Amino acid sequence: MANTESSLYEDAFRRLFSNKLSLFSFCFISFITILAILTPWIAPYDYAYQDLDLGPSGPSMAHWMGTDVLGRDLLTRILYGSRISLMVGFLATMVALFIGVIWGTIAGYAGGKIDTVMMRIVDAMYGVPFIILIILLMVIFGRNLVLLFVAIGAVEWLTMSRIVRSQVRSLSQQEFVLAAQAMGVSSVDIIFRHLIPNTVGPVIVYATLTVPQIMLLEAFLSFLGLGVQAPMSSWGILIRDGAVSMEEYWWLLIFPSILFSLTLYSLNFIGDGLRDALDPRTVQN
Amino acid sequence: MKKIIYITLIFLTACSSYEKPVDSSLETQVLLIGNGTEPQDLDPHIVTGVPESKILMALLEGLVIRHPDGKSPLPGVAQSWDISSNGLIYTFNLRKNARWSNGDTVDAHDFVYSWKRVLLPSLGSQYPDMLYDIKNAEPFNKGEITDFNEVGVKAINDYQLQVTLANPAPYFIELLTHYTTRPVHKETIEQYGSIDSVGTKWTRPGNFVGNGPFNLKEWQLNKVIEVEKSNTYWDNSAVKLNGIKFYPIDNVTREDLMFRSGQLHITGSIPQEKIDSYKTLYPQELKIFPYFGTYYYRININKPPLDEKLVRDALSLGLDRKELVDKVAKGGQEPAFSFTPPDKNGYYPTTKLEFNPTKAKQILNDLGYSEENPFPKIELLYNTSEGHQKIAQAIQQMWKTNLGVDIELTNTDWKVYLSRQQIGDYSISRAGWIGDYPDPKTFLDMMVTGRGNNQTGWSNQEYDSLLKKAANATNQTERFNYFNEAEKILMDEKPIIPIYTYTRMYMLHPDVKGWKSNLLDTRPYQNIELIRD
Repeated sequence: MANTESSLYEDAFRRLFSNKLSLFSFCFISFITILAILTPWIAPYDYAYQDLDLGPSGPSMAHWMGTDVLGRDLLTRILYGSRISLMVGFLATMVALFIGVIWGTIAGYAGGKIDTVMMRIVDAMYGVPFIILIILLMVIFGRNLVLLFVAIGAVEWLTMSRIVRSQVRSLSQQEFVLAAQAMGVSSVDIIFRHLIPNTVGPVIVYATLTVPQIMLLEAFLSFLGLGVQAPMSSWGILIRDGAVSMEEYWWLLIFPSILFSLTLYSLNFIGDGLRDALDPRTVQN
Repeated sequence: MKKIIYITLIFLTACSSYEKPVDSSLETQVLLIGNGTEPQDLDPHIVTGVPESKILMALLEGLVIRHPDGKSPLPGVAQSWDISSNGLIYTFNLRKNARWSNGDTVDAHDFVYSWKRVLLPSLGSQYPDMLYDIKNAEPFNKGEITDFNEVGVKAINDYQLQVTLANPAPYFIELLTHYTTRPVHKETIEQYGSIDSVGTKWTRPGNFVGNGPFNLKEWQLNKVIEVEKSNTYWDNSAVKLNGIKFYPIDNVTREDLMFRSGQLHITGSIPQEKIDSYKTLYPQELKIFPYFGTYYYRININKPPLDEKLVRDALSLGLDRKELVDKVAKGGQEPAFSFTPPDKNGYYPTTKLEFNPTKAKQILNDLGYSEENPFPKIELLYNTSEGHQKIAQAIQQMWKTNLGVDIELTNTDWKVYLSRQQIGDYSISRAGWIGDYPDPKTFLDMMVTGRGNNQTGWSNQEYDSLLKKAANATNQTERFNYFNEAEKILMDEKPIIPIYTYTRMYMLHPDVKGWKSNLLDTRPYQNIELIRD
């Protein structure tokens, strides 16, 4: 068994990297991530440093991406912003993924009353006003970034669990699961060995869609004073500020948007590639 | 989503040969105003906001009318008035041809009834202090006396109203331009409730009975409030417009798009980042006027280390107000060196606040703060808004470089922001104050010990007594001298750090004629008309 599994993932990576778009996307995301990690050493300026006399200026040799209305270097702010945005995007998605997949699989596999109760809890959670919940968490635990990730993730898992549940519902009726059950494989093993790998396709696609959503949500929460505080920046914040003054200072919108869209595209391509690569149903040697 | 649909609509309308609302308005003489938010109500004794005041200016008329240029008020329902030599007794002679929109005569009893309504504790008006200068008005409002006959308002006959003041108040006539002092129609109020009921149906179109130049025609929630010219108004010939539409648009960017696509004559404000480019793009439409308001930082003087006066001095010395105004706010604001905005024709405070980083740093050094013993981090609270955020970030940077003081910015929504200030849970907070009437009292009175809007914990007996002396002063020069002395104490102690004097900025379509500017930015709609050059 162990041997088959490792070759499945080896196969998967081989297939993933033979897809040029996925490979390129993977490189791009890695590049951005490395830049984000190295930001404090490579950023040309301090993210809060203002040059009020300079004010908003277009791209130049001194400021490759121009400066914002307070004369702060946009490149620096984008680099620092990427740290926040990538961190929020990935971590919160992980949290959502973790809770959603486990919850959905258990509900779908157990069925019956357990399923009903678990899914009604999800329904009830949908009804809770999200912003109020986050504000409440912030009031209780104070403002800190890790909590922000957890809070967002803890709310974003709902749809994920529904998707997974419906997948598992149909999978658990299939012969290979029945066979495993007949052979006396434990429920835990069935869930982790058979069911979850089979849900990977939709889950990955949904996860890549969740990342951008969360990045934008972070901008919104920061605007309300719940996320990162000025003068720290994030992509969401930069784009929102840029959109307001796009007629006057185009670079404030264009540069962060390009980077943001490229990241999202890359995530989607990687998601696509991963889905094709990981889906056991496409395994055909 | 709404915004996207909106922008698409603008493009669609721009492409078709559809006539712009401002063009058709030339024919219909209907003024289109962007009015901020949906009004809370149209009851003059209940509302408190600027959007409401603009609508009520059209619907109701008080004893006097605000002068469009900001000079002394013009006669309204009162044709003339006499003031006793000690400045305490005002006798208003009401005009006999003032009518309610249902044809009833507006008489002195209406004013007695209306002012009683404002002062009734059971109504819970937010602005009863507008009438506190009247004898016994404050005790009546606080429930200390219950007989309204003891309050200094009396109808001598149908057309004569006598008002007795508790202290001379040279600004009293100015106060009477405020909507809180305007009359309401007794029969209408009581048809839909009682004298002290709030939020009844009397303010609905069809029910509303007013005495102003316009009548309430339509009120579509979150969409538009429309008023039409009244034919019972006494000065009908001065009213050139046939109607006004007030649009509640709280999104500044959307309002700006509406103006540029010809759907509004006047906007409520301008997106801050557009100001620079509009100076060249729309020099004719862009209006920037001085405004009777101060943008300042409030300091909680009970919070160490801000309880130390020298620390507050240092913070003020480390602020380059000129740079803030020119490089960050950019709306033609004036750096503020006093709490009350200086008025060249009236009260002109002589206080000075210098920008001197060296001295500021010296003060902090003398207090024992250094590299090894850094100044503790202070929190700066502001309500969520891009404008406030920009200023806060710039100030954060100034204090960091000039003084080495670290500031942590915290923004919260409006309600949290207000309540944190109220309970004193802040160190430094952003604040703004717009005068209610053109007199320094509207600013300085706020800092008296225990006033609801003081909120700094600051208390100074000498200051309080100077304001008391000013209240009893008999002539304006003497009053202003007391105020100036008080202002000096305030600027020396610095429970508040003034930053700049507001300007009012908006876009005004060139078709609108007769639209005047004044310090309080309120004006009657008489004599405004729409003509294209």
